[in-house]
Amino acid sequence: MPKLKKRRLGFVLDMTPLVDITFLLLTFFMLTAKFKSEAESQQRFTIVRPQATADTSRLPDKDLAIIKIGIDTVAGDTSYYYEMTNETDWARVVGSMEQLQLPPNARQVKVGLSELDELIRRTRIVKPTTRFAIDADRRVRYKWVEDLMEVLRQNRATVFNFVTDRRPPEQPPM
Amino acid sequence: MGVADFGGEVKRERRGGTRRRKKMRRLRYRLDMTPLVDIAFLLLTFFMLTTTLITPQVMEMTVPPERTQVEVRQSELLTLRIRQDGRIFYSLGQDAPQPIELKDLRTLAVRENVRLKNRLITLLKASPNVPYGRVIAVLDVLNQAELEITEQLAREGLKRERRFAIAPMTEQDEQEIAQL
Repeated sequence: MPKLKKRRLGFVLDMTPLVDITFLLLTFFMLTAKFKSEAESQQRFTIVRPQATADTSRLPDKDLAIIKIGIDTVAGDTSYYYEMTNETDWARVVGSMEQLQLPPNARQVKVGLSELDELIRRTRIVKPTTRFAIDADRRVRYKWVEDLMEVLRQNRATVFNFVTDRRPPEQPPM
Repeated sequence: MGVADFGGEVKRERRGGTRRRKKMRRLRYRLDMTPLVDIAFLLLTFFMLTTTLITPQVMEMTVPPERTQVEVRQSELLTLRIRQDGRIFYSLGQDAPQPIELKDLRTLAVRENVRLKNRLITLLKASPNVPYGRVIAVLDVLNQAELEITEQLAREGLKRERRFAIAPMTEQDEQEIAQL
């Protein structure tokens, strides 16, 4: 009996497979992690996106101009926000607009409809292949989106995307 | 807990025999991997908790480049109107607008499109005061109906051509559905 007890107390556990898996997972998560863009870290609102059924189309990362319609969490007012994923294009578009008075490292700008029109026009000149996406909060009045679509249409940006979130299958649409 | 073994087989150190012991030590030494594993788990937990795996998806939208008046046959027009309170009304041609639930919209879109065999033009008019999420919900239903329409038309040997437009809501539209 005493011999058996001793054996139970000190056993050797091979942890190599566990550590292997851990490192594998760690590598996966580290490599797939996408950090918040500079523009996103500067914004003072969160967008509650409208939900749509699952789709395979994803938001492109290259040469994308995003027009956000967000509700400011502090002030509670709705506004348009403009940002671009391509840094050089962004500098060229914003650099020529003195009226914006941006801090040097700003990646997102709060604009009105007329400035937005100017920004979109310049974006189209700088890089005509830039794609446009409308990332609006689902609670904003449709008027905001309608006006924006009109501006896009006037600038010949006739194809654009609405950014949505995937709706869980069991949940009915609002 | 038991002893975690990281370094392969480890033989117990024997007492005595200094010469032999020295050699053994150099060949097989015990490396304590606990701190390394601790850090690995910590990082793993951090990355697992902070990653969002779902990237937002998009819904493509096309608008006509020019705002021109296009002559369409009234019988081939399906107008969908979204009122301020979010209620949806449909009217075929010049018929009086009828209220419709979101869940029935898909059936309607499929039925009318198949009946008119690609010639139906769907026009969506939303009140400026309706929440944007409601408009997307309607667009989503129409997109879903598209699959079924394509399939049913293909059975008849037709290729689906979507004819859809978004138009601003006029005062006349507002009045037509205000009392319903």
